[in-house]
Amino acid sequence: MSELTFLTIAEASSRIAGHELSPVELTEACLSRIAALDSQLDSFVTLTAERARAEAKAAEAAIMASGPRSRLHGIPYCLKDIFDTAGIRTTAMSKLLADNVPTRDSHCQEKLAAAGSVLLGKNATWEFAHGGPSWDVLFPPARNPWDRTCSPAGSSSGSAAAVAAGFAPATLGSDTGGSIRGPAAACGIAGLKPTYGLVSRRGVLPNCFSQDHAGPLAWTTEDVAILLQAIAGHDPEDPGSADVAIPDYSAALTGSIKGLVIGVPTAWLEKEAPPSPATMAAFEAALAVFRGLGASVRPVTLPSIEQFDDVKKTIAISELFTIHAADLRKRPELFGASLRYRIIAGGLVRAEDYIQAMRLRTDLARSLQAVLSTVDVLMLPTAEPAGKLEPVPHSSLFTRPSLTAAFNVGGNPALSVCSGFDARGLPFSLQIVGRLFDEATVLRAGDAYEKATPWRDRRPVF
Amino acid sequence: MTSCGMTKPPLTDDDIKRLAQQAGIDLPAEFMPELIEAYGHVRQMVERLSTPRPRGDEPAHVFVASAFKPAKE
Repeated sequence: MSELTFLTIAEASSRIAGHELSPVELTEACLSRIAALDSQLDSFVTLTAERARAEAKAAEAAIMASGPRSRLHGIPYCLKDIFDTAGIRTTAMSKLLADNVPTRDSHCQEKLAAAGSVLLGKNATWEFAHGGPSWDVLFPPARNPWDRTCSPAGSSSGSAAAVAAGFAPATLGSDTGGSIRGPAAACGIAGLKPTYGLVSRRGVLPNCFSQDHAGPLAWTTEDVAILLQAIAGHDPEDPGSADVAIPDYSAALTGSIKGLVIGVPTAWLEKEAPPSPATMAAFEAALAVFRGLGASVRPVTLPSIEQFDDVKKTIAISELFTIHAADLRKRPELFGASLRYRIIAGGLVRAEDYIQAMRLRTDLARSLQAVLSTVDVLMLPTAEPAGKLEPVPHSSLFTRPSLTAAFNVGGNPALSVCSGFDARGLPFSLQIVGRLFDEATVLRAGDAYEKATPWRDRRPVF
Repeated sequence: MTSCGMTKPPLTDDDIKRLAQQAGIDLPAEFMPELIEAYGHVRQMVERLSTPRPRGDEPAHVFVASAFKPAKE
């Protein structure tokens, strides 16, 4: 039973197309595994088992009649519980939305449904994708399948944990400062923050309008490419949506990265936010793999992390406060303490400060694109391996330098892939950042790396 | 340091409570220490952002009219 749930999207899709695997069989395998094991991880907050069975049955009938309509036809997936799903509770883990049942699907959910995918349920997140981990919100925080005493990071916590655990081969999350890449890193899977505007935010509960990105998480980069193909594209109902041509992402995965030029922000890694020696060793080993595949590596200089973080956080806290102002003023006790701490001071940020942050954002985004015009991609660790799942100081959001938020400020595509395991068996992570709308190169690099290394052969045991 | 090279005097708790009142944030007393502590971090960030800029420096969120053009127009 569980062997089926460890199939990648590409493998399952191929078997479904060849009539070797039924969507009903695959869906039942996922539901059985979730029923047996999710009490150990709390990765789901809402399970839609009966709906999934009906969708799987319909997919099976359609495929038998006329073949699969997409590579996701009959493939089970789940969604971070901030994506609106018509008729299905969407809570963002917040007591404020305990009874919130949207009447319309998010754009991403519409796309996945149109592709014929099978919705298993909704995943745990941090409250409104920002405050956590928290024990004073609607549901308990998800745990890391590699070590259940550890955090899956946030805020797409349950999404990443569910994929790593073999509960679902596909999921979607959101990323405002690293919330797809961080959980993907902690759980040893692949997660992509696409270019800002490539994937519609319509129907995704907002964290920070100008820095929110919806994107895919899956076991492999190849699967991320399949998911991105289904959800990318212009949506006139999202004012930030980009009207650009969508390439064939799977076709870009040629396996060859010969001649790829990789930039490494050495000042960040040596002076501003030096990772641990073990994380740097894993990073150097990953770069050696890329050199062996024909890539070259050179140092690059980016604006300081502090500048990126100041801009990211000043903009985010201002937008967050505005989004939640009415509830913060009337019923602040319904917020988890972590989220309340992290947004309440946004009410004291002056318009002048917000605009100054937006002006510096222009400079930083231009600087980032200028550096990326001299290399094909940037590479750096995504994060340290997972820490213990325990309350963290709410202030850590303000005090901890981030290796991911800069690319929300710039809007660039950024992929996290697994790059090995530490002495405790927890995943290391590699972040690959590309030029605006050049997801194809980022995915090509991630896919080539995964296929040249053994890290996709190991699954968590719990 | 401010843009003028002068260090701004630290705000007292009462100063921050007054700012909160002006912003229409009338929190229960139990939550006020959260606001005071969090604002300390925010104030440091925004002070670092307050460098003089040319008048024409554009923010990153200018209005894009094409995003609002009706689909059938």
